[in-house]
Amino acid sequence: MGRALRTTLGTVLILWLVLPLIPLGLWSFARGWRWPDLLPPVWTLDAWAYALSQTGGVLQSLWTTIAIALAATALSLLIGIPAGRALGLHRFRGKALVELLILAPVIVPGIAVVFGVQTVFVSLGLTQSAMGVILAHLIPVLPYTILVMAAVFSGFDTAQEDQARSLGASPAQAFRHVTLPAIAPGILVAGLFAFLVSWSQYILTLVIGGGRVETLPLLLFGFVTSGRNDIAGAIAMINILPGLLILFVTARRLTGRSAALPGILRP
Amino acid sequence: MAKSIRLAAALGLMLTGPVAGDTADGDALIGQDWDTIIEMARGGEVNWFLWGGSDTINQYVSEYLGGILEDEYGITLNRVGLSDTVEAVNIVLGEAEAGVTEDGSVDLIWINGENFRTMVQADLAWCGYPGTLPNNDLIDWDNPSIATDFGVPVDGCEMPWNRAQFAIAYDSARTEMPPRTIAELIDWVDANPGQFTYPAPPDFNGSVFVRHVFYHAAGGVDALLGPFDQALYDEVAPRAWEILNAMEPHLWREGQTYPTSITQLDQLFANSEVAFSFNYDPSQFGLAVESGLWPETVRSYGFADGTIGNTNYTLIPFNSPNKAAALVLQNLLISAEAQLEKARPEVWGTVPAIDLGAVPDEIRAEFDALPSHPSVVAPEVLAEAALPELQAEWIAAIEQGWIENVGR
Amino acid sequence: MPGGARTFLLLAPALVVIGVLFLGGLGVAVLRSVGYMPLIGLTDPSLDAYAALLSNRDFYRSLALSLHISITSTLIASVIAVGAALLLRRGFAGRGIVSFLFQLNLTVPHLVGAIGILYLFSQSGSFARLGYQVGLIDQPGQFPALVYDPFAVGIILQYVWKEVPFIGLVVLAQMQGIGADYEAAARSLGARPWQAFRHVLLPLILPGLLASSAIVFAFTFGAYEIPALLGQSHPQALPVLAYRLFTDVDLAARPQAMAASILIAAISGVMVWAYVALTRRRVGG
Repeated sequence: MGRALRTTLGTVLILWLVLPLIPLGLWSFARGWRWPDLLPPVWTLDAWAYALSQTGGVLQSLWTTIAIALAATALSLLIGIPAGRALGLHRFRGKALVELLILAPVIVPGIAVVFGVQTVFVSLGLTQSAMGVILAHLIPVLPYTILVMAAVFSGFDTAQEDQARSLGASPAQAFRHVTLPAIAPGILVAGLFAFLVSWSQYILTLVIGGGRVETLPLLLFGFVTSGRNDIAGAIAMINILPGLLILFVTARRLTGRSAALPGILRP
Repeated sequence: MAKSIRLAAALGLMLTGPVAGDTADGDALIGQDWDTIIEMARGGEVNWFLWGGSDTINQYVSEYLGGILEDEYGITLNRVGLSDTVEAVNIVLGEAEAGVTEDGSVDLIWINGENFRTMVQADLAWCGYPGTLPNNDLIDWDNPSIATDFGVPVDGCEMPWNRAQFAIAYDSARTEMPPRTIAELIDWVDANPGQFTYPAPPDFNGSVFVRHVFYHAAGGVDALLGPFDQALYDEVAPRAWEILNAMEPHLWREGQTYPTSITQLDQLFANSEVAFSFNYDPSQFGLAVESGLWPETVRSYGFADGTIGNTNYTLIPFNSPNKAAALVLQNLLISAEAQLEKARPEVWGTVPAIDLGAVPDEIRAEFDALPSHPSVVAPEVLAEAALPELQAEWIAAIEQGWIENVGR
Repeated sequence: MPGGARTFLLLAPALVVIGVLFLGGLGVAVLRSVGYMPLIGLTDPSLDAYAALLSNRDFYRSLALSLHISITSTLIASVIAVGAALLLRRGFAGRGIVSFLFQLNLTVPHLVGAIGILYLFSQSGSFARLGYQVGLIDQPGQFPALVYDPFAVGIILQYVWKEVPFIGLVVLAQMQGIGADYEAAARSLGARPWQAFRHVLLPLILPGLLASSAIVFAFTFGAYEIPALLGQSHPQALPVLAYRLFTDVDLAARPQAMAASILIAAISGVMVWAYVALTRRRVGG
């Protein structure tokens, strides 16, 4: 493949990747942008003013989405780190079965599970509540966390822990001073991706939250289906922000060790 | 026994002050002194589920209504935006099925028609309270279009909020002579292929468009009024499907697909893909122009042979835990002041559901002085040719028939 | 503490969560689909819901549509992704930008991408307007129907947009793990570039490609919001049909919604298994 051809193909790829985000950005500053105008005839901050107003519901929705994603991330790390350790370091009978069980929620679509979960959650009073939504988000979030942590632990040398223990450290001290620093970058990556998986959930939030728990994707869907492209554009931009931030935070880590990537990606 | 419990509760209330957010027992509220109800509601919250696709309506609800509730009663209004009212009905249905009878999550729903019928048939609506509301005096319950909701008697199970009558919108800069009757529209579609479509029922507005054609096929609505009549349906329906199927090849995308919602049609209209949109609530046209979605040259009208009108309501589910606060909100909704604010074209511009003959003179004068939006056909003009709604069983049968005979 | 017990304790919370929420959710759906749920007064199991669903023509049209969407999206995305990974492996002017965009794209919620596709490709979208400005078309109706269309082009475009970076990064990581030695060896033995790719590189990157494209397949088969936004009124994608049944005010439709969700789970499981088995045999052999 010639260099010129590669550059051309690369440029096409770049355009294609950026393209869908452009009309969203434009719409958030547009008014009366109709056929056949290629660009908005009137530029305005109205949509942003609504999105950032105290009563518009977008800001509340932003905080709700952040709180739910943070909680789901924390829970999944709490549960996923030990499980990742077991899968990454230990060999045991039935390991293949456990791995299959943990992978299953990645393969089986959320919509196949959520109706049953909703039935149970209604009787437990967990529907319409952020708590219920957080628990439901664990279904797609936890497998990814465990898989990342298993990959992290598979490269972890337990000899350091043993050494610390033999020097008189308690298990807690060994974890705190030896294990944790070694796996911290992995935890960060797992946490960030857990956050993003929760951040973009739609159907689980819709069915369990029942409209009462209005995360940004739900709000976005509502505005786009009611034809408010300007407000939808602004919400879409807000919806992209955390991913962008996280990307800058992790940029170094991800490009440095790309062999770790397969474990931490999601469709 | 129940009486003594209520007495103890009242005593407890006097001693400790109101326990906010625990007014699930509706019987204890009906006929209560209004000030007592306000005190029971004070400091609590109310979860109102309503269609959330219009930023102006959202702001009226959150800022104007929410502001009054907060300032005057210390009640927190949680506006829960829906893309379809059926979602709220479903929540209550699911709760009832799971035995949640006191601690439901919905306190108030903006509702009418089939959703109201579902709530009543499944026994999910709290009823019998309207007389408790002071502003109930402003409601003309003798008017059949208020006292029945799509043919189902309201029977004190919901309170009217707005009135609406179907109208058609067109862009006067593009279309000079819009069709004035359903028959003219059918000819117009033939002559202008690709320029017309309607949302697929069960979309609320697509469904009412199909009913206009159904009335036309029946040669008038009179025969269709009253309970569902299978024999009559079997006679009229084939004619209606024939008209709609003959129209299909001349529709947008040759009728191979239909918009799935009225807002999708609104977008097609905005971008000149089709020549008309329509709505059960013509004030939406004004909102669309004000938000820049539609050009200012949009005008609207009703068919000369009449368009269908309805009233929409708010309903308190049986398992609402905040019934007192929901009552305070409902009373506010039908107050002359709140209805006036809502009638302002820049706020919403919808038609009041209260009897303007019963409001104080100075507010009446303000109502009369309200400017009208140039894109919104005046309600008085529409009212000159108004058609009644059918009973909900008819509507369900027509929607199902459309899906089976036209939509697929 | 003995090793076995320790392993079990480490795994227990995760297994409980996945067991209760995931398997529990599936289990309850199975029970409700056969109408057996004593808790809510259903004690008379039957397969009526499945019978009703499987005798409905709409179900098969929805199934066909969903299979079309997921198979086509996965194929196209996989091919482009491998191409993009090959491109990214060598240097070119915009390489840094592409890797940044690949990663950015991974973080963008599907719904956002879908709205972008809608604004670009609808008959009055950016491309149609461009066509008007350069005089190719006079009115929106002349632009090809790419969203709300019978072939689900818009839905597939969105999935390709979103999944090329996903598969591409996985495959790229695997390529970088392999290095260029094997191919270089094959080339020095006289293999043409295509032969070197087909017989040397492809089998080596297959595990990553298979795993990532299987995930993509399952996801595109079961996702709701994209076909709900970009799909036509009829037929609806299977998840949209299932959700519509679930939210039907006629409670009699609920068991059918549960049955539909179980069928979605079963079909995606079987398809992923068949896909992995088939591809492994064809490429590996």
